[in-house]
Amino acid sequence: MNSPLLTVSGLAKRYRRGGKTIAAVDDVSFAIEPGETLALAGPSGSGKSTIARLVLRLIEPDAGRIQFEGDDFLALSGSALRARRARLQMVFQDPLAAFNPRATVARLLDDPLRIHGIASRAERPRRIAALLERVGLNADLAPRAIHEISGGQRQRIAIARAIATNPSLIVLDEAVSALDVSVRGDILNLLLDLQAKERIAYLFISHDLGVVRAIAHRVVILDAGRIAESGDARAVIGAPQSAIGKALVMATPKLHRTTAS
Amino acid sequence: MSVVRRFLRTPEAIAGTIILAALFAMALSASLFFPGDPQAIAGPALLPPFQDWSLPLGTDRLGRDVLAELFHGARTSLAVGLAAAAAALVIGAIVGTLAGFAGGLVDEILMRTTDAFQTVPGFLLALAFVSVVGPSLSVVVMAIALGAWTGPARVARAEVLSIRERDYVAGARVIGMHPLEIAFREVLPNALPPVLALSSVIVAAAILTEAALSFLGLGDPNRVTWGGMIAEGRTVLRTAPFLSIIPGVTLVLTVLGVYLAGEGVVETTAVRRSLS
Ligand SMILES: Nc1ncnc2c1ncn2[C@@H]1O[C@H](COP(=O)(O)OP(=O)(O)OP(=O)(O)O)[C@@H](O)[C@H]1O
Ligand SMILES: [Mg+2]
Repeated sequence: MNSPLLTVSGLAKRYRRGGKTIAAVDDVSFAIEPGETLALAGPSGSGKSTIARLVLRLIEPDAGRIQFEGDDFLALSGSALRARRARLQMVFQDPLAAFNPRATVARLLDDPLRIHGIASRAERPRRIAALLERVGLNADLAPRAIHEISGGQRQRIAIARAIATNPSLIVLDEAVSALDVSVRGDILNLLLDLQAKERIAYLFISHDLGVVRAIAHRVVILDAGRIAESGDARAVIGAPQSAIGKALVMATPKLHRTTAS
Repeated sequence: MSVVRRFLRTPEAIAGTIILAALFAMALSASLFFPGDPQAIAGPALLPPFQDWSLPLGTDRLGRDVLAELFHGARTSLAVGLAAAAAALVIGAIVGTLAGFAGGLVDEILMRTTDAFQTVPGFLLALAFVSVVGPSLSVVVMAIALGAWTGPARVARAEVLSIRERDYVAGARVIGMHPLEIAFREVLPNALPPVLALSSVIVAAAILTEAALSFLGLGDPNRVTWGGMIAEGRTVLRTAPFLSIIPGVTLVLTVLGVYLAGEGVVETTAVRRSLS
């Protein structure tokens, strides 16, 4: 069992806008090992979110292959795809927009347990309480409406929802970018903790190389839909080879200072 | 509740609520005050109003009690108006949600069907439907709904189109939720407020359409209706104008009451939304 968890090869997605076609993602290939964190970094519009949505089958690619847990992920459809989604989850940037505004915390966590038949109806409240505890929240948050809790708590709920189905890979698109610096550190620690305990792999999308260096094992730097460079996160951020990599490092003030000293 | 207080601050809402309350009271108490058959003969024919206090609004051409007919007519008008509007809103919301959420061919088929229904005036549609199927209360309800669901369908579709691009819909797909559950449990409830805002206009129009059908003799023959009363009175319009005027004024007041109360509700919820 030494094959990667996720293998993406030759992925491409074009959008047509005003008669012009733009390649949002152009011939992108990478792999993620079980329990590994791969970061996708790059300037705004470089195609990071598009890759996340392609990997999650929220949109369909124009070309390329996606292997997930040894299967051709693009060949799945209908109920087979919905069932496999249990293993591949996502955390969005804005936790308020990512939840039904009418939902309560309990319902948001109940949905994945119910849909994938993970626990019986009677057992679910206990499972929900356990999930809340695993992400460092109090179980009495369950009956609250989603807009009645703080941003940091909301992102913990998003993580709890993502881990409810025991996924092997979680895609996090700018999952900490909207949070206060202090809360951000807590969430990153929670992610590291979960990874250490359960060997979950992350595809971690961020334009903040400081955060990337803190959490990722390897990094892929994108520029205009193409891979500019990739490699060990500390090595690439410490000595970027590509122009865009250098620009990104320069644009991260704190990082720039620490690497310069 | 402060919502109720805010609702009752507008004079239109108060007027509408009073009219509607009176109407509901009439409909609910009809068989209490007038337990017999309202279509039975109660006295001499064409008795003018305010002459005999056991028949306060007089009698019609056949000697039937006008006040009893008015009370029982309120029942028919409200029942048909509310049922037809509810049916139109449900059909419209389902069609609009499916069209907006599914997109592609399904959207195309459903919306062209909506266009087809919309190009035919609702009243003609109802008229044709009742003439073919035959007049009964449920047929009249269906006939009116048939011409009234297109507005809610369009509004629901427009709302669903904007909601389906939200992150939380993507989130529901990611956790493996079935598309139908996403459409009806995640998207539809959030698309409802602008659809429900149409309900007062639809109820008012449904009550008018029912009256018009009855006026043309296409109402349920076993029920007293205001439209039927006006039609009855028309034959003696010169000698006994009150027979047409009384149900006519009641009809106008009802439609006005529904409309005003509906406006009040829309205004209150709009204020609440802009506050939050
Ligand atoms: N639905 C769409 N229709 C048309 N163009 C799109 C669409 N989605 C993305 N694009 C374009 O594709 C390119 C990549 O967008 P993407 O959202 O993947 O960038 P990103 O790296 O996530 O940027 P950011 O850091 O700002 O989130 C951009 O030029 C964007 O305008
Ligand atoms: Mg993005």
